[in-house]
Amino acid sequence: MIRSTTGKALLSIWLTLVIVAGLAMPMVPVPRTWYELPWIPGLEQKARIILFHVPMAWVTLVAFISAMVYGIQFLKTKNLDYDLKSVNAAGLGTVFCILATVTGSIWAKFNWGSFWNWDPRETSIFILLLIYGAYFALRSSIEGAEKRAALSAAYSIIAGVTAPFFIFVMPRIMSGLHPGAKGDEGGAAPVAQLHMPPNMLVVFFASLLGFTMLYVWLFSVRMRISKLEEHH
Amino acid sequence: MYDFLASNQLYIVMCIVLINWFGLLAYLFRIDGRLRKLEQSTYAKDEKA
Amino acid sequence: MMMRSAYEVFRKDVHSEFRTRYAMNALIMFVIVALSIILFSIGDESVTPGVLSGILWVIIFFSGMSGLSRSFVSEEERGTVLTLQLLTEPSAVYAGKLLFNLILTVSLNLFIAVMYVLLVQQFVVQSPAIFWVTILLGSAGIAAAATILAAIIAKANTKGTLYPVLAFPIMLPLLLTVMNATRLATEGAPFSEAAGEFQVLVAYTVVVIAVSVILFDFVWKD
Repeated sequence: MIRSTTGKALLSIWLTLVIVAGLAMPMVPVPRTWYELPWIPGLEQKARIILFHVPMAWVTLVAFISAMVYGIQFLKTKNLDYDLKSVNAAGLGTVFCILATVTGSIWAKFNWGSFWNWDPRETSIFILLLIYGAYFALRSSIEGAEKRAALSAAYSIIAGVTAPFFIFVMPRIMSGLHPGAKGDEGGAAPVAQLHMPPNMLVVFFASLLGFTMLYVWLFSVRMRISKLEEHH
Repeated sequence: MYDFLASNQLYIVMCIVLINWFGLLAYLFRIDGRLRKLEQSTYAKDEKA
Repeated sequence: MMMRSAYEVFRKDVHSEFRTRYAMNALIMFVIVALSIILFSIGDESVTPGVLSGILWVIIFFSGMSGLSRSFVSEEERGTVLTLQLLTEPSAVYAGKLLFNLILTVSLNLFIAVMYVLLVQQFVVQSPAIFWVTILLGSAGIAAAATILAAIIAKANTKGTLYPVLAFPIMLPLLLTVMNATRLATEGAPFSEAAGEFQVLVAYTVVVIAVSVILFDFVWKD
C-alpha cells in the first residue's frame, strides 16, 4: 500500500493534518466545539507535546520488536534477507529512539525543571538506546555474514526478553515523574492515561498511525537501497 | 531563551515538531547519500561495458 | 548421557582453572584494588546506605565482567572449540559452562560481600537474611546472563571491551533489583518486604537460562 504514489501522497497529507491540528486546535477552559481542547492547569500548551513525542517512542518500540522478530525468522530459516530487514529496522529504530530521547528531555525541562530525571520512562528509552548501541557494536566486530546475523539475532532476542523486566522493576525503585506514575498528583495525569478528551484522542491515534506508516515507508526505502547494494 | 519558551509554551511544541522534522531530514540526507554512491558505481560500470 | 558430558565439561574447566589459576588470581586482585580505591575515596565522609549498596554491585558487576568471559574465550583462543563441537552436544557444553560460571560467581561474590561488610564500616547490614539471599540470587542471575553473552562475544573481534557494553543493558533490571534489595537490607526491613525483589530475581534467572538453552545451538555452531 505504501508503495503506491497515492499511498505516499495520502500519508503526507495525513501527517500534515496531524501536525496542523496538533499545533492549531485552540485550548480553552471549557471546550464547546469539536476543535477545542481543554486547558489543563500545570500542563497547558505542553499537553500537545504528547501528540509528537509519544509516536517517536512508539515507533522505536515497533522497530525494536520487528528487528527481534526478523532475527527469530533468520535463525529459523537461515535466510540472510531477514538479517537485512533486522539491521534496517534497528537502524531506523535508533533514529526514532534519539528523537524520542531529545523531545522527551525538552518536555522534562519545561515540566519538571531538568532535562533528565531518571524516571521510569526516561530510563526505559535510555536502555533501548543502549541496546541499539550494543547491537551495532556487536555487529561491527564480527566477520562473516552468517555468523554476524546469527549472533546479533541472538543478542536482540536476549535483550527482548530481559527488557520487559523493567516494567516490574522500575515502579519498585523510584516514584516516577511522568504523568500517571506513582507520586504524581495534580493536573498532569489525565492526558497520558488516555483520559484525553475524544477529539484529542483522535489526533493522538492519527499521529501514532501516521508516524508508524512513515516508519514503514522509510523502512521500505532503506530495504530497497540495501538490496541494490547487495548486487554490487 | 528559557524564559521566553516557558511563557510561550506553544513554541516548545513547535520546537519538538521541528526536532522531529530535522531528525527525519538528516536521515533522508543519509540514505540519499547511500543511493548516490550506488548510482555512481552503477553508471561507472555501464561506461566500462 | 547429557548430564554426564555436561559434568565432564565442567570438570575440564575446573581442572584448567586450578592449573593456571588465571581467573581466580586476577579476580581477587581486581576486588582488592577496587575495594581499596573505594575505601580511599570514602575516607571520613559519611555516605548513605543507598550509595554504598550501589557501589557494592558496581564492584560485583565489573569483577564478573573481567572474569566470566574466560569460559568461552579461552576455548576460542586455544582452538578447542572444534573438538568440543565434535565430541559433545551443545546443550551439554552450555550446562557445563553455566555450572562453572555459577560456582565461580557465587564464590567470588561471597568473597566480595564478606570483604565489603568487613572493610566498609558505614555499610551495616541490619537484615542479614535479605542481604545473603540477595547475593546468592543476584550471583545466579549474573552467571546466567554472563554465560550466554560470553558465548556470543567469544566469536567477536573486540572481546574485552564489548563484553560490558553488551552486558549492561541486559543486566540492568537485575542490578537495579539487587541494589534495591541491598538497600532494604541496610535499612533493616523485614524479610517479607524483599519478597517481590526475590521473585523478580528468580524469574529473571529462569527466563534468561530458558532463552539461552534455545539460543545456544545457534550461537555455538559455526
